[in-house]
Amino acid sequence: MIEFTIDTQLAALFTSAAFIVIGLFAAIFLDNIIKKIIGIAFIEEGANLFIVTLGYKQGGIVPIFLPGMNAEWFAANSAYPLPHALVLTSIVIGASTLAVMLAIAMVLYRKYGSLSTAVILGDKKPDIIKSGVIDSNEKGDKNE
Amino acid sequence: MNEFIPLMVIIPIVCALLLNLLHKKDNSTKIIAIIVAIIVPIIPLIANYGLHYFGGHAPLIANSTLLSSLPAEIANSTLASFHPAITYSFEAFQKLFIFILGIVAFFAIFTSLSETKRTSGPLMFLMFMGIAAVTAILLTDDIFHMYVFFEIAALAQTGIILTSNTEDNYETALKYLIVGSIGGPLLLLGIGFVLGVFGSVNITDIVYSISNGIVDPLSPTVLLAFGLIFFGWLYASGLPPFHTIKSSIYSKALPHSAALLQGFTVITFIAIGIVIFRIFSYLPYFKTLIIIFSLLAMILGITMAIMQTDFRRMLGFLAVGELGYIGLGFGLGTHLSITAGLFQAANEIIITALLFIGFGTVMYLTNTSNTNKLGGLLSVNPKLAIMVLIGGFAMAGVPPLNGFQSKLMIIQASLDSGFPEISIIAILVSIATFMTFVKAFHSVYLKPKPKDLKLVNSSVPKPAIISIAILLLICIILGIFPQIATDPISQFVGGLI
Amino acid sequence: MASDDNSNNDLGDNLYSKIVNSFKGIKEKIANDSTTNESVSSALAAELTLISSILIAAIMLRHINIILTVIVVLGLGLFLITNMPLIPTLKREQSDSLEKMIFYIILTLGILITVIYWGFTHV
Repeated sequence: MIEFTIDTQLAALFTSAAFIVIGLFAAIFLDNIIKKIIGIAFIEEGANLFIVTLGYKQGGIVPIFLPGMNAEWFAANSAYPLPHALVLTSIVIGASTLAVMLAIAMVLYRKYGSLSTAVILGDKKPDIIKSGVIDSNEKGDKNE
Repeated sequence: MNEFIPLMVIIPIVCALLLNLLHKKDNSTKIIAIIVAIIVPIIPLIANYGLHYFGGHAPLIANSTLLSSLPAEIANSTLASFHPAITYSFEAFQKLFIFILGIVAFFAIFTSLSETKRTSGPLMFLMFMGIAAVTAILLTDDIFHMYVFFEIAALAQTGIILTSNTEDNYETALKYLIVGSIGGPLLLLGIGFVLGVFGSVNITDIVYSISNGIVDPLSPTVLLAFGLIFFGWLYASGLPPFHTIKSSIYSKALPHSAALLQGFTVITFIAIGIVIFRIFSYLPYFKTLIIIFSLLAMILGITMAIMQTDFRRMLGFLAVGELGYIGLGFGLGTHLSITAGLFQAANEIIITALLFIGFGTVMYLTNTSNTNKLGGLLSVNPKLAIMVLIGGFAMAGVPPLNGFQSKLMIIQASLDSGFPEISIIAILVSIATFMTFVKAFHSVYLKPKPKDLKLVNSSVPKPAIISIAILLLICIILGIFPQIATDPISQFVGGLI
Repeated sequence: MASDDNSNNDLGDNLYSKIVNSFKGIKEKIANDSTTNESVSSALAAELTLISSILIAAIMLRHINIILTVIVVLGLGLFLITNMPLIPTLKREQSDSLEKMIFYIILTLGILITVIYWGFTHV
């Protein structure tokens, strides 16, 4: 029997790659807009996980320099804190993008009564909406 | 250390947040927006050149007392020269571009306030947020910081489209976000690879590591990072294959907002372009790759622009096509060509803003942007029409305007580098630009007025005319005295190569 | 010899009439626009700009190999002219449809990463 072991960092890298591939697949091929948005969230989280993984150290310690620590021992054993700090910002950015996308999806659902991308973003718009070609500024300022 | 440098970013952000709180009160929104819009171009003029380290964490090498107290293996390692803080660098080059952005932003806001009946607090909020983000992109020396502010700018752009109330603006915004959500995280992934290889996101440190042989510059990870960041750059700047969505964005925003949006795009383009050039220009085929995408942008942009019947879409494609000229500057990679490319960027921001605001008055008058339905508007305001015409000439590169100077420099640079074909294509695209513009001008202003065309407003508001006149004046001044812009750019490029 | 000349003339005639016919064909192929003189002339201008700039860009291959350049330029020229009304196709491919945008984006990403990853390491 073959014993198969894989260390935590490698596993995390594989997971992030899987996240990105699954996310790309969902964002490209799925029709439902909410599923598309979930796929996009997957891509973002895959990239974030990748960056977090960079700072990982097998058996490392929290990168806080406490009094009494040996500087060289600390340098050799602590995790790399920069990626963790960066990812925090990028998660916030991802969340706000997601929020805006979901908000637009809500508005479009009210307009078309459908969540299918083929209907709301494609060329196959329902005839009722297509016939009422609205010129700019005539829609009123309800969206303001 | 200079305290004005972070203020260039902080003031627009604070103003944006304030405007969002006050958005119900029309008059105070208006006053604050105008005051801050005046302050924004003034700060770069009074600020001193220098570096700003956030948190005051200068590199160890700059702090001799701290350096002497550290053990020798740290003090003598490359770590001592690394930048622990987010660094803003402010030089004559940044001053020029922040000033131009400030001017364009001021006129965009000024025109927007005069052309819309109700002041929109959210729109002002988004405009200032975008200005702050783009200023930060231009100032920062930190590739991750750049990514963060780029995403903020992208969100602000989306928001600006959402406030515009034009047909299909929500659909276009959602498309842009979906496309951006493929481009953005891949850019982040590329930055992650860079972080993994170099251990730092400061661009000066990365360049230092490469030039001193600390990392293998041709390792597969670096190549993959380059590919991903390059792809992110295509998305950020709207080069093909992102030119369709970018021009669509411009056409769905109101014209005065579009004037600002294209400024954001051009500045993001040059800022990330400079970063890519600084880090990766040693790679073989780096220049070929940029030239291919620039030529594609020029050819696809102009051929699509000729075919448009909506003048906003036409201007959108023209704006994307003009980016190709800037890209050619980076692609040729000589001192003259990069100077020419960056000068072209400065000119393009001003000229395209002029044209968007100028044709925006047509939309204000008639409420339509379809050139088939328009005509005979010369009689409404002949002076304005002539100013728009001269602006179009500047874009096509007619002497003695600024577009001519920068395009001539690009053509000279490509001849000097042994690529006369690029010069020929540049001239060809210029001619096609001229034709496109004259066609649009004819169908909007000169052609007999269609019977069913009704004017919604009888006259153009004064602020729009003043904005166009001053932008045109800047075009003429830069055309006659190009050294105002080329001197700081050339000095900056000297440090780049 | 005479027959050779004739065949050359035939080829020339064919190519020439093909170009002229394709110009006429453009007018019919611009489906959505109301066909005015203006839209046809702009389609023609776009067509000519596209073909000439692609051919000129192809000449830049001379920095790699001259014989290759001659072959590529001739082949490309023939290909572009025989498929003449290119602009309607081009315009259709660059429409605002999300599927088409994403298709080209993923295509570019794939080509870019492949070329950079393998191309650069094996130079």
